[in-house]
Parts: sequence; structure tokens; C-alpha cells
Amino acid sequence: MQPVKTREGENLKNQGITFKRVLFWVITILVLVGILGPLLWIYLTAFKSSSDIFAGTLSRQLIFTPTLENFKRLFVQFPFFKSLGNTLIMSLGSTVLVLIVALPAAYSFARWNTGGGHILFNTIASRMFPGVVAAIPFFIVFRQINLLDTHIGIILLYMYFNVSFATFLLYGFFRDVPVELEQAAMIDGYGRFNIFRKVVLPLVLPGIATTSVFCIIWSWNEFLFSFLFSRKVATTVTVLISSFWGSIDVQYGTMAAGAAISILPTLIAAWFMQRYIVRGLTFGAVKG
Amino acid sequence: MVNKKGSDITLNDSYLIRKPSIWEILSSEKYFKWMLALPLIVVLLVFMIYPLIFCLYKSFFQVSLSGNALFIGLQNYKTMLRDINFWIPLGRTFQVTVICIVAELLIGLGLGMLWNRDFKGQNIIRGLILMPLLVAPLILSIVWNFLLEYNIGFVNQMLAAIGLTRVKWWDPSGALYTICAITIWQWFPFSASVLLAGLKSLPKDVFEAAKVDGAKGWFVFRKLTLPMLSPLIIIITLLRTMWLIRLFDPLYGTTRGAVNTELLDWMVYRTSFVYFDIGYGSTLAIMSLFLTMIIGAIMFRQLIKTLNATS
Repeated sequence: MQPVKTREGENLKNQGITFKRVLFWVITILVLVGILGPLLWIYLTAFKSSSDIFAGTLSRQLIFTPTLENFKRLFVQFPFFKSLGNTLIMSLGSTVLVLIVALPAAYSFARWNTGGGHILFNTIASRMFPGVVAAIPFFIVFRQINLLDTHIGIILLYMYFNVSFATFLLYGFFRDVPVELEQAAMIDGYGRFNIFRKVVLPLVLPGIATTSVFCIIWSWNEFLFSFLFSRKVATTVTVLISSFWGSIDVQYGTMAAGAAISILPTLIAAWFMQRYIVRGLTFGAVKG
Repeated sequence: MVNKKGSDITLNDSYLIRKPSIWEILSSEKYFKWMLALPLIVVLLVFMIYPLIFCLYKSFFQVSLSGNALFIGLQNYKTMLRDINFWIPLGRTFQVTVICIVAELLIGLGLGMLWNRDFKGQNIIRGLILMPLLVAPLILSIVWNFLLEYNIGFVNQMLAAIGLTRVKWWDPSGALYTICAITIWQWFPFSASVLLAGLKSLPKDVFEAAKVDGAKGWFVFRKLTLPMLSPLIIIITLLRTMWLIRLFDPLYGTTRGAVNTELLDWMVYRTSFVYFDIGYGSTLAIMSLFLTMIIGAIMFRQLIKTLNATS
């Protein structure tokens, strides 16, 4: 029914679309493999015996008999659970402290523009503050007051290192709460404190949850401070895993087993926090 | 009104007579906001200003391992200016920062454009690409160090299997770029996600109007898309500079500052905590901070300018 010319034209166009679609999926899948491959590889290696790990052939890298020997060695020979527990305590402890400091400050900046933006600017600037600059004086002070290699010492450092980020992120969430709501509550006779507790706080609860998860993850991943300030008592899981590397025989299997467990919470968080990751990583500037 | 002992005063009366309590003063409109910000200000003073002053002070001393300090004035700064071990890591840090940001932006922009459409599984894919972002950089760098091992590393085995030559990833001439690549690998999903979010939020009618006017793809991209994305590009650049200038963990997981990969913070770390030269270490730390602050000030100003121009 249709003229031949048009049909041919459509065929050509369809071919173009098909080609584009194939190209689209090829690129997409390559990117996904590139991103997820190394992460999957951690989990593969964790279940490999060391003879498979050090085998020079590709087939034995991919096809092998799974074994739990790496996990066994990790749990028996190394203080893995202790350092995992340390990391957990420090992450949670520092996050509680961060919220105590950052929550009221962020509210104050968002509602009254306290300090005309200067304090807020300095807060964000402190994120650029080199960790090593803070590390030198604190190392000396901590040594004097016996805070080296203690949980409290590292919790304090983590609080310092997360507080600017948390303040900034919470600032954005508080700004989303309309002032009119607070004014209405004020007319109803609520005091300042009750407005904050009963009106504002419930509305920024998702923001507080997001901020907390980010703070926990940053502390969970932190390496510089825990490496410099811990020896035996307060070693974190990143420090433990890094120690598998430097020793004379490189313990790839144990390292992979440790990594497999310790990155699991961050992977789960990345999946369930999708909507908030962009917002969190841009300090609230981009609401993804 | 006389306040007789034991007499009954109603609440309202007492409010009229007595001075406001401390709690009332502090929660009054004038002080309440400062009360709220006070803990943060204290934390900033203790954890930011104190180390700054400490390092500045120590930078004028030669501190021996036993802790004895000898005042030497500007000698540390003079040493630093002639110290090739300061300038080379500094240059490398800039190199790494520029390479990583440019690559992340290009890949991110490309993927953002590619995925800025409706397709099957788009939400899953957008979620999956975020997976490496929150994983500890230290652990990822150790993993990559293993993957890129010359003999048993998976990447080289793959290359050998498809008939290519194995690459010496940790060669002194290329190790720095390998570290860049690892960092780019972890962070391009960030710029891709931000730019994709930006592309999705662009007004559709402008693009339709451009299409009606017969504008070609590249022209539209250069004259419409790119300018509208520029605030986001600046935010990404700013944030990534902040992170990259402090790059430390990937070095520890891979080369530990060997094979021409020593960066700014690693050099400060090595001087202060390996050689325990607190005086000179403080000098380098102050310099590192100073340079960061200059870059930060320029970039923050630029960011505010762009945001004002677009809003």
C-alpha cells in the first residue's frame, strides 16, 4: 500500500535506531561491568584458596572450588571482629557527637543566618583543612593526655572531620522547612525549644537520617586518623586490612575476605540511599 | 510590690518582678541563635584554629626527636623553598587533580548524555553505578593494586588472554597515572549522577524550540546544554578539588609514595610521622593549607558568582 521509497527509508531509519540501541546497551553494559567487576572480584577472591589466587591462569581465576579458609584465617589469626567492633563504636559514637553539635548549629544558620554566612563559610572551609595539619598537633596533645590509641580520641577526631559536612548537609534540609509552619506554631503558643522539637525536627528526620548514614560511612571508611592514632587497642578495620598488604607475604585472600565483610554495609547503604547520595556528596547543593 | 517571705505570688506576678532566669535570657530571640551555634563554634576553634596556630608556631622551630625545640626563625621556610621534595609532590598533586577532574567530567558528561532518556532498567542502572562511591578508598586501592599486579593480576591476565602485552602498571613512569585511573574509576559515577540529574531537570521546551529553529546537535550542546550545566560542573570541580588535593588513602594502598607518586599530604605525613620532624613537617603542613585555602577562595568565589548568574 505504501510507496516503496518510504518503506525503504523507514527500514534504513529503523536500522539506524537498532544500531544506536545496540551501541547504547554495549556501552551501558561495559560501564556496568567496569564498575561492578572489581567489587565482584573481591567476593570471588574471598572464597578462593591461595593456590587459586596465585595461579597464573585466567581459568583458575574465574573457575575454582570455593573455600572458607580465608575467612577462617581472618577470624582466628587476626583481631578482625575486634577491629570491626572498634570501627562500629567509633562510627556510631562520632556520629552522635556530630549530630549534637551540627543539628542546632545548622538550624541556627538556616533560620537566622547566624554570623551572616561567615561561620558557615568557615565550617565548609574546614573540610578543606588538611587532615595531616590537624594530625600533628593532636598527636602531640593526645600523647600528653593519654588519648593515643583510645576510642574516645579517635571518636573526637572523627567528629571534627565530619562536623562541617554534617552542618552543611543539615543546613540544606532545615532550609526546606517553611518558616510559616514555625510562625503558626509560635502563634499557638509554642516556645522556641518546643517549635524545634515538635515542628521542625519531625520534618527534617529524613535529613537527619541521611546525614547520620553519611557520617557513619565516612567514619567507617576513614583511614588517615585511625592509622596515625591507633596502635593495638583502637585499630579500625581499614587499618587491619591495610596491614595485610605491607607484610612480607602478601595475604590477598585474607585481605579480600576482610574487605568483603567490611565493605558490605557501605554497598548496602549505597543501594538503599540512592536518592540521597548525590545530595549528600554535593553537601546538599544538588538535590539529585 | 514587696516580696514577703511565704506569701503567695502568682506566676504572672513573679514574672513581672524578678529578673529573667539565665535560661530565659539564653532562649530569648537575641541569644538563642548563638546558643545553638555555640557548640559548633567551639569545635571549630578547638579542632581548626588550634592546630593552625600550633603548626604556625612550630614552623619557626627545629624540633628534635626528643621534643626539644630550637627557634630558627624562617629557616624552615627557606629550606622548603629550595626543597625539591616539596615542589615535585606539589606539582604532582596539581597534575593528579587536573587529570582526574577532566576525565571524570568528560566520562560523566558522556554517560549523562547517554542515559538522559527513558530506557528499561534505568533506575537499576543508575543505582548500580553508585556502588563504588561509598566504599572505603583505601580498600579499593588495595584491591586495585592486586588487580593490576604484573604477573597474577586479573587485568594483565585478561590482556594476555586476548593477545595483548602485559602492562607494567606500577612502573615509575606510569604509576601516578594508574593512581589517577583508580581514583577516576571510583569517582566518575559521582559526576555522571550529578550531571544526569542536571540534564533531567533542564527545561524541555527550550530544546524543542531550538530543534524547531533547526539547531544541530553539537550547536545545541555547546550553546544550550553546557551553559545550563555549568553550575553543576563548577560544583563537581570544586568538590573534587577538595577531595583530590587531600589524596592519601590510594597512595597507602598502592605505592606508599614510592615510584614517583608522592603527593602533597603524603609528603607532610612522611616528614611529620615517619621522620618525626615536627618543625619542618609543620612548615610543610602550613604551606599545604595555605595553597588549599588560595584555591578554595578562588573556587568558592567562582561558585557563588555562577550561582548568582544563573538564579
